[in-house]
Amino acid sequence: MNWLQKPIFVTGATGFIGGRVCERLVQAGAKNVRALVHTVQHASRIARLPIQLVPGSLLDCTSVREAMGDAKIVIHCGLAPARGILRTTENTLKAAADAGVERFVHMSTAAVHGLTPAPGSETEAAGLPRTGDHYCDNKGRAERIVNSFHRRGVPTVILRPSIVYGPFSAWSIRLVRELRDGKVTLIDRGHGACNTGYVDNLVDAVFLDIEKDQAVGETFYITDGERITWGDFIRAHVPMLENAPPLREISKAELTDYYRRQPGVIWGSLQQGGQLLRSRELRLLLRRIPAIERIQTALWAWMQSQPEERRERIRARFSIPESAVPENNGDLSMPEEVTVATQTGTVFFSIAKARKILGYQPRIPFSRGIRLVEQWLRFANHL
Amino acid sequence: MADKLRMAILGCGAITKSRHLPAVLAHPDVRLDALVDIDLERAAALARLNNVQCRVTADYRSVLGEVGAIINALPNHLHAPVIIDALNAGVHVLCEKPLAITSADARACCELAAKKTLVLAVGMNRRFQPGTLILRSVLEEGLLGNLQGYDCQYGGSYDWETTSGFYFSKTKAGGGVLIDYGVHLLDTLVDCFGPVVSIDYQDDDWGGGIEANAILDLHHHGTYGDIRGVMRLSRTYELPNRLIVRGSDCWSESPAADTDVVLVHRHLARQDVTMTLRHPEPNLGFRSNSFYKQLENFVRSVQGTEPPVVDGWQALSIIELIEQCYAHRRRIPEPWSEPADARTEVSS
Repeated sequence: MNWLQKPIFVTGATGFIGGRVCERLVQAGAKNVRALVHTVQHASRIARLPIQLVPGSLLDCTSVREAMGDAKIVIHCGLAPARGILRTTENTLKAAADAGVERFVHMSTAAVHGLTPAPGSETEAAGLPRTGDHYCDNKGRAERIVNSFHRRGVPTVILRPSIVYGPFSAWSIRLVRELRDGKVTLIDRGHGACNTGYVDNLVDAVFLDIEKDQAVGETFYITDGERITWGDFIRAHVPMLENAPPLREISKAELTDYYRRQPGVIWGSLQQGGQLLRSRELRLLLRRIPAIERIQTALWAWMQSQPEERRERIRARFSIPESAVPENNGDLSMPEEVTVATQTGTVFFSIAKARKILGYQPRIPFSRGIRLVEQWLRFANHL
Repeated sequence: MADKLRMAILGCGAITKSRHLPAVLAHPDVRLDALVDIDLERAAALARLNNVQCRVTADYRSVLGEVGAIINALPNHLHAPVIIDALNAGVHVLCEKPLAITSADARACCELAAKKTLVLAVGMNRRFQPGTLILRSVLEEGLLGNLQGYDCQYGGSYDWETTSGFYFSKTKAGGGVLIDYGVHLLDTLVDCFGPVVSIDYQDDDWGGGIEANAILDLHHHGTYGDIRGVMRLSRTYELPNRLIVRGSDCWSESPAADTDVVLVHRHLARQDVTMTLRHPEPNLGFRSNSFYKQLENFVRSVQGTEPPVVDGWQALSIIELIEQCYAHRRRIPEPWSEPADARTEVSS
């Protein structure tokens, strides 16, 4: 029996990857697709499809069980904050084990090796490090849970994509917005490894996981197999915009120095907290409390009764800013630390194993993927 | 007290909580007799939250013999059957949009209301927004010159706090963004420019789902002659969210962000200027709200002092238009989604 005729259960279906999985299933002819929907407001994209939307939560065992029903194939793209990643994965696996599924495809991430993977992590043979990043480490722990269920007989497959892009991807939406605002900085001339994976190539790999029995129990890196750098990825978006401001450049060494000079957590919190306490926004919020409103009004009246010069002295003495939002002094446009970590890796993941075992061939090359993204961005009013 | 219109609200979801109930509680000529919802606890919680002393029940039929009017804020597929029951019980109805999910049902409601000489008003609250009223005056006064067409774009990530989630069920909602938000805009456009004589419609329903995006080319023939316009709706993409009407002298803009105003853009002594048109009336708090004004109009209609601004027949004409759209729909091209060379071959 063709697997597309069997009941298929998709988690994370309202997200970027899960949404495309559902679309591709419909295009391939699947007739019995159930998609778990946690936040119904996010279901507009998949509500267009002839699939069944099932309300529920991956954090609730019973809910997952009911939603999964008699599914024979589970494609788990669902996420949850922090350690919720573990609970949602375990709940879905438990339900899948009880339902006796024939395949459980787990969407992991190459970030199990951290935001800046160390050399040596190019192939799936490398052991998982403790990265210190909550998301990366929890995704790594989730993989261990998947493997433990495989040992108990659940036919699991793990996929590790990296930078998945395509229509509906937040990477491109954010990038064109920031390019337009002149907020994009190339780090080290954009030489960092981007490891792009066009979303349809990834979905091809999902389908292969289901088709190929050799995939069971295995873990695969999935990218486009091209050595696309962050510079390539960012520059490919520039021509989409008319008159985009020029890209700025900075070296990783300069950024490292910049972040080293930033106040630590305690001092930084005290500084920001102090600024917030004196801010106009907080004063306005506090005015909702009647007693404070009266005190503020009395203080304001007293201030107004003072000569201008004295008012200025008082303001200066207490450094009362007009707004909690700091003025853009240039630092705000510095790439965030997470961006620096993501964009300065040197490792290009190998898809040799996926090619060999799955017969995976990335169909959409980067040049074509970017054109499709541009078409979509225009339709979606992002350009 | 005896002169007050005794009302029940059927359906205690998001629209009742945020709009209808505050309007009813604020109206001096209305007494709320009952809140009705299949989820009794939801209805009771709403009553408690608003400190309302009224009956709370899951059985709408049990209140029909007691009240003079209802607000029908149930999911779309329940609008028509409940209206029929209410009218048969001699109860006036203010129904949330859309009046029904088929024109046959909508027509049956209108005919029964006429036969029973009862008020059937439909909740097209945009008609009561100051900006809509100002736009009508702008057009009537010919402020824009000869009308050349319009461009109407409304869209954003869907964020309506639906309690029942019926919006994503085709059988319960009757459709997607067109029958949900589009019904308001079509009503406004038909009200401004006259009946639609031809229509070209595209949406992104993949077949068996409900559309998140819709694009309409509309051709009206009315008071201002032949007017063509484009309407785009989206539940997934942020659109400009405004109605632009172009004239030979200048163009108007009705922004969704401020439904109290109409902006008129024009050249003045070789400069581009924008005039903001706004009613000078003082802010009356919630009584300025379009839902309050809609209720006010309904109450006066029941009292026989004025007709409903939007009656069932007008709403029926919009349902017919929507039905026509769905019947002749073309799919919006999505080249980024097409499986032209996708792996569709699968092994058994």
